[in-house]
Amino acid sequence: MKTAATVKKNRSRRSLSKTDRFTLATFVGIPTLLQIILLWVPAVVTIILSFTYWNGIRLKDIQWAGIQNYKNIFFDNPLFYQALKNNAIWLAFFVLIATPLGILLAYQIDRGIKGHAFFESIYYLPVVLSLAVIGIIWNFMLQPGGFVQGLMGRDIGNAISIWGNPKINTWVILGIASWRHIGYIMLLYLSGLKSVDPALKEAAAIDGATDWQIFRKIILPTMQPVNIIIVVITLIESLRAFDLVYIIYGSPTIFPLLNLLVFQNFAGQGISMKGAAYAVILLLLCIVPIITYLRISFKEDLK
Amino acid sequence: MSEEKNVVSRRSVLKGAAIGGAALAAGGALSTESASAATRLKGSTVKWTTRGGGATGDKIAKAVNDAFTKKTGAKVVAQQVNSDDFQNNFAQIMQGSPDDAFGWMAGYRSNHFGEMGLLEDLTREIGRLKGSLPTAAIKGATSPVSKKPYIIPTTYYPWGLHYRKSMVKDIGMNPEKINDWDDFVKLMTLTQKKGLVGYSLGAKGGWEAMGTFDILNARINGYKYHIDLLNGRAKWTDARTKETFKYFAQLIPFMNENVMDISWDGMRDLLLQKKTGAMMMGSWFANDFKAKSQADYDDLWVVPFPEINPKFGVDTIDAPLDGISVAKNGKNVTGGKALAEFWASPEGITEAVKAGDTNIYVSKSFDTSGYDAFNKQKLAVLASAKNIMFFLDRDARGDFAGPVVGPAIQSFIKKPSDINKILENTQAQWEALPKN
Amino acid sequence: MSTGVVQNEEYRNKQKRKDAFISTFIGIFAFVWIFPILWTIWTSLRPYNDIISYGIFSWPRHITLENYFNAIKEMQIGKYLLNSLIVTIPSVILTLFFGSLVAFVVTRYQYKFNLGLLLLFTAGNMLPIVLTYIPVFWMFIWVGELFGNRNMLYNNYGGLILVHVGFQVGFATFVLSSYMKTIPKEISESATIDGANVFRHYWNVILPLLRPALAALSVLMTTWIYNEFFWALVLMSDDAKRPITSALRRLQGQYVTDFNLLAAGAIIAAAPTVIMFFVLRKQFIAGLTLGSTKG
Repeated sequence: MKTAATVKKNRSRRSLSKTDRFTLATFVGIPTLLQIILLWVPAVVTIILSFTYWNGIRLKDIQWAGIQNYKNIFFDNPLFYQALKNNAIWLAFFVLIATPLGILLAYQIDRGIKGHAFFESIYYLPVVLSLAVIGIIWNFMLQPGGFVQGLMGRDIGNAISIWGNPKINTWVILGIASWRHIGYIMLLYLSGLKSVDPALKEAAAIDGATDWQIFRKIILPTMQPVNIIIVVITLIESLRAFDLVYIIYGSPTIFPLLNLLVFQNFAGQGISMKGAAYAVILLLLCIVPIITYLRISFKEDLK
Repeated sequence: MSEEKNVVSRRSVLKGAAIGGAALAAGGALSTESASAATRLKGSTVKWTTRGGGATGDKIAKAVNDAFTKKTGAKVVAQQVNSDDFQNNFAQIMQGSPDDAFGWMAGYRSNHFGEMGLLEDLTREIGRLKGSLPTAAIKGATSPVSKKPYIIPTTYYPWGLHYRKSMVKDIGMNPEKINDWDDFVKLMTLTQKKGLVGYSLGAKGGWEAMGTFDILNARINGYKYHIDLLNGRAKWTDARTKETFKYFAQLIPFMNENVMDISWDGMRDLLLQKKTGAMMMGSWFANDFKAKSQADYDDLWVVPFPEINPKFGVDTIDAPLDGISVAKNGKNVTGGKALAEFWASPEGITEAVKAGDTNIYVSKSFDTSGYDAFNKQKLAVLASAKNIMFFLDRDARGDFAGPVVGPAIQSFIKKPSDINKILENTQAQWEALPKN
Repeated sequence: MSTGVVQNEEYRNKQKRKDAFISTFIGIFAFVWIFPILWTIWTSLRPYNDIISYGIFSWPRHITLENYFNAIKEMQIGKYLLNSLIVTIPSVILTLFFGSLVAFVVTRYQYKFNLGLLLLFTAGNMLPIVLTYIPVFWMFIWVGELFGNRNMLYNNYGGLILVHVGFQVGFATFVLSSYMKTIPKEISESATIDGANVFRHYWNVILPLLRPALAALSVLMTTWIYNEFFWALVLMSDDAKRPITSALRRLQGQYVTDFNLLAAGAIIAAAPTVIMFFVLRKQFIAGLTLGSTKG
């Protein structure tokens, strides 16, 4: 049977005409070229530039810098460690708190409570908003003279510090980011949950299993593919996070993130290839989740 | 009266020549351009960018550009952009397909990009405006490296200590006499006792607090030391720099809680709503006081930052010089140059002022006789200084000011006790800069 | 047997009580969740002067759509919305088209490079964008110079569309190839035996079968591309050509004191994706899960 199929396949491939082969080449060629030119070539250029001194304007000014940019970042730049810390906190918060909350929410809404479609939509709403809009919305809430400050009885003269307060700004920003992330995770999980047989749950419950046991023993294993996607989305989103902070602060110095440092040093008036070096460091951090994801997604194919 | 005289004498110094008919000659310069340039201009399209400024900015741009069209027959297409985004992407915008002419800033920000071949050399245009432009302004717009100007200077404004006269009177002090450090500390202490903010500061963007650092350093260590520091000839770890931060640290207890949350507009609102005693800022925000009410505007006052070290008195001021630059990669460089020249010419200035521009122009043709008390005081504040700084992020190189000094000052405000470590880092980062 | 029924009953009752408790909790929480958006809408309906005179918590004296009219007129929201459409629609169509082409080849034909190609596309989708954007900018300028027109890609809708396609096509390929693996091979085989050439095999046989997946993906991609604002800041120097999400940045600076007007602008900017979400909710959810439930 197997051999017959192989023979058939081989025959069909051999029988491809010249035109067909040309069509196939075009089908694959154009998108691949686009990917290589727009993503991979620039990535390589950035990696090379991270070992140079340059202000990004005239080619003739490029000088070899060796690892000087990296040395400067690692040894003299306090912002780098703050950014690393912030990225790490972001990651930990998303993995340990926001994502589980999204799953919990999905699990509870999936019980078929009244108005679940309505709740689903509300929790998902922030996800379809642009970060530009989200920045404006939260500014209304938190700025001096805004809603939250007003509730606390603060006017602009004695407004408390939120964006600039290192004790709370991390949590505020993570809160806003979670506002988006939780809804995303919830919806992903919900659609998976709908495929779990409710009779299975009920039977387990009647046998005296606790909610947690049901979740761990029945739901989690059934949801394996979705789980993987969620873990990867969480990792990648945490490492790429920066639009929100750019919108709120405009500069990377109060709440540094690696992405923002790339932006500040790789563009504009203070352009230097330290920005490229930051980008490469970010890439190195992303490589682990990327490879993990690829290995899981293409498990069968890779074998 | 004596104040006014002071103003005139100071302005004469800046201009380097008496107000005369020279301005008229400059105005006519365009018409004496070679015929081919004039015909090339006619019917062509020139693109113009206004950096921020809201509705007033658009109105001023429209008035000046329309007058230019009337005069030359060239069409002007104008746009307004977000000032921060424009600056954050400046190198890219200039390498791409920039508008031909745009409002920009003198100092490192134009010199550097001019030397890199992104901005046009405007020697000829400035030469034609020589009659109306004071030599000091021309010097300020000229790169010390290439000796070429890449910007035509138009306006400037003082960074001074702003407060409301009524509030200072309320705490029993004389608003005309905030002269030295002791007066200043007293003002802040008494304001704070009333439950208000003694000294308001915003540092969200990382640049706002540079104004306070600049002036403290100049008052304590003098102009020369400050400029040396920003150009690597003095060290950030020097005891003199540390002394400046000691004074800076004394201000912190008087500041608003949310320094890192607000930018200049937040500071403005604090003063506008009578929540703060004093603040160090550029005078450009005064328009917003006027927009609120005449009474608020009349109450606003500005003085030079108080004296600290008698050796230097109040001899230095941050007075950033703004102007018009022309992009080398613009589509219509001839048109851009003509438009830039027109903006800085007496005719252009007249149009801008008519359209509601309250900036102080450097041009000798600019008439200040109808000035109100606050604007006259602005001139007096400028006049009190012998040395003009352009502000830290224009006096220092771009890959140092924004990415290094800004965050250093922010971390200092967050944790003043870390100052030694912060200054060591700052110095190390200066030394790691590529030499170019 | 009867004990089983009793147990069942008991279980159901317990569940009912639990459900009531949870739904109350989720309901309250939902209100908190949506409150910032409601507050923004509320703000957008009140005149600026009311807020200034009576404060943000004051009982409304006027409720008006004036801010919306002003936003459309003063902020020229209409122009920016149009720009968003000009960029988003072709980007989505091209992304899906290219994605389906690659997915078609790698799932229907057995080539050695298939896996490598899929890996390349999937990994590309996850690269940090900042790694690439300055070189992409240089490349756009350089290509433009080569053809004697700097604005061929830079400061041009075409360039922005190209970038969006380049960055999204990886995801589309990944999702569509997962989906295509579920289409039985026999369909392709019979098509080949019937003498269909490669193009007809793709266009007449496979593409129609992909319709649900394409519908779902297009909804998702429209949201992503519409909401993106960063590339336009870098690659569009003319404000008049920027999509609404990027333009909002300028308006935010310009109208910083007039919250109410800005709120109206933000609501208008958010409206298209929100409306789309409510109308095409099913496709939306399907799009999200396509990638995860492969095989």
